Amino acid sequence: MRLVAAELVDSREILPGQWLQSFHAPELASGSRAGQFVHIRAGDLSGLVLRRPFSFNTVDAVTGIVTIHFRVVGRGTDWFTRLRPGDVVDMLGPLGRPFEVDSRSRHLLLIAGGLGIAGVRMLADEAIRDGRQVTLLFGAASVRDVYPSNLLPDEIEYIVATDDGSLGYHGFVTELVLQYEAWADQAFACGPYPMLRALAALIAGRRERLGVATLGRKRGGGRQDAVGSPAARRKAFLQVSMEQNMGCAVGACLGCVVMGVGGTPQRVCREGPVFASDELVWEGAWGAMSR
Amino acid sequence: MKSKKRVVTTVQPGRRGSSPASSPPPRPQRGPVSQASLAPRPMVDRGARATIESVRLDASATVPMAIRPVDLTVSLVPDRGFVLTNPILVASGTFGYGIEYSEVVDVQRLGAICCKGTTLKSRIGNPTPRVTETPGGMLNSIGLQNPGVDAVIEKYAPLWHEWQVPVIVNVAGHSVEDYVEAARRLEGVPGVAGIELNISCPNIGEGGLQFAIDARAAGGVTAAVRRVTSLPLLVKLSPNVADVRPIAKAIEEAGADALTAVNTLSGIAVDPSRTRPFLGNTYGGLSGPAIRPVALKVVYEVAQVVSIPIVAIGGIVELADVLDYLAVGAVAVQVGTAIFADPTLPVRLIDELAAECGRRGLESYRPLIGTALPARTGASSAKGVEYRP
Repeated sequence: MRLVAAELVDSREILPGQWLQSFHAPELASGSRAGQFVHIRAGDLSGLVLRRPFSFNTVDAVTGIVTIHFRVVGRGTDWFTRLRPGDVVDMLGPLGRPFEVDSRSRHLLLIAGGLGIAGVRMLADEAIRDGRQVTLLFGAASVRDVYPSNLLPDEIEYIVATDDGSLGYHGFVTELVLQYEAWADQAFACGPYPMLRALAALIAGRRERLGVATLGRKRGGGRQDAVGSPAARRKAFLQVSMEQNMGCAVGACLGCVVMGVGGTPQRVCREGPVFASDELVWEGAWGAMSR
Repeated sequence: MKSKKRVVTTVQPGRRGSSPASSPPPRPQRGPVSQASLAPRPMVDRGARATIESVRLDASATVPMAIRPVDLTVSLVPDRGFVLTNPILVASGTFGYGIEYSEVVDVQRLGAICCKGTTLKSRIGNPTPRVTETPGGMLNSIGLQNPGVDAVIEKYAPLWHEWQVPVIVNVAGHSVEDYVEAARRLEGVPGVAGIELNISCPNIGEGGLQFAIDARAAGGVTAAVRRVTSLPLLVKLSPNVADVRPIAKAIEEAGADALTAVNTLSGIAVDPSRTRPFLGNTYGGLSGPAIRPVALKVVYEVAQVVSIPIVAIGGIVELADVLDYLAVGAVAVQVGTAIFADPTLPVRLIDELAAECGRRGLESYRPLIGTALPARTGASSAKGVEYRP
């Protein structure tokens, strides 16, 4: 974790209301991993008092470029769209814990709902670099919100579902998962809470027969890893990147919690944003209240 | 990332009434990153500030002041030997247990750290969402999530004991017995430098706040804790009252060593769907620059009725805010919400305060205390400002 002055290099509106911005931040471009995020200071402190968290969309260690992808949802994100090349922002990062890919995983299934693509986009780069096969299932409300394929690596298989059927599969992206879960060794998802909850419910109980979690392991045998440890997450079939309103992003304010199965709130900024789906409580007051 | 102390070579000690037309002083650098190219000007009009700041300089004299060390020490509780190296503290709930920001902040330089609100038993806190930004501030309803006083002592106190910076444990509860038992367990624990009694958390339904809105209850819980602890005892006032003065008086008479003012203001936000309140707990506590005028008022009023020191909190984002709070009678300040945007701010304020004193030709920051209070006799002291009718 460090504070870095990052200079804006490029800023584009890639979809209506959605922006892709590139910053020169070599300290963050090397050493950051997919799933982690940066907390960026917006504007003046007497107006906007909180930083804004963004997943690393892509990083390039060679050029030192870090990109973020966001939708304009309020004054803070609107402020970012007014930045011009050469402007400098204050980034705190890398924060949070990354996706954990088992070294034996060959086939990765990425599932993104809308802006959730920003959470898993970088994992596609990492997986392809490591020689894995990647299928990206992307869901959006309609064709106008579909992530442009030219911004994705050539090597991945890109499947689109739209709620209104205007492009690709007509229906929710979660319905496509059934066709790919048997192929996939591990799955990684980011998107709206109802999507993640549906995926967690779909995957629950299938860990025994799916994925790499049980490869080379006798039935019921093997070492038990502590819940939430990187080793335990590597063995999970589904990892999710969670979103929550955030204050400090370093674990101090306890603002951004989700409920863990042990009954202790888990900080999205510190224990997350990536969790194994079976680490979290998805139903009940705490699950339903997350929005 | 620390900003350098500015070197000042031409200073004449605090002469009032230099020309209002004199150019305003250089604004303190706001962040480690130069934001000049993109930061809009502050929304808050700082025009009034210029008259305060322009008071201090007169270019006719050349006295090299920069090398003279400035005394920033705060003898917060002299009877108990509780002395801070400087008057910049970090507020409870915004700095965790002190370790969270240690990768980017030199926490040992702080005057003191107030840790996250701690209760006798562990609490899981309120449902989410717990935080949201509001104009010039934020609402939070964490609900005192914490592992309980025993876990805090076991997990963090050994670390605090090795630290140079004193750590004040913020204690909250639902009943007098809760407060007393938590304080008893903190007694004599190496690494615990003091207790800040949180009788004013607006975010837990079962109580807590009830102590801060009633003079007798506030005095009662303070007295009960006072009986079981020899630690420096600070009590945090709530702004959610009609008149804070009788409450502050009662707390002082019950044996508190210092007051901290203020906790958050109770408020709500509405969900964008307009079908429910936004926060999981409905109510939240407002903090940030938005509450600064309210906090200033509380400090201003309390400083005139108590003789124990006041530690001010509420929307500090730059040195000018610190000077404001000192002027209305605070002997020290806590920085809170601003840390989220700028973690290095508290440490930078220490340097800026020293530089400001140097520029004014002061050997100590203490003459800055209480200057905006109504006419009083005698010099202000670091023990606070005494009201003499």
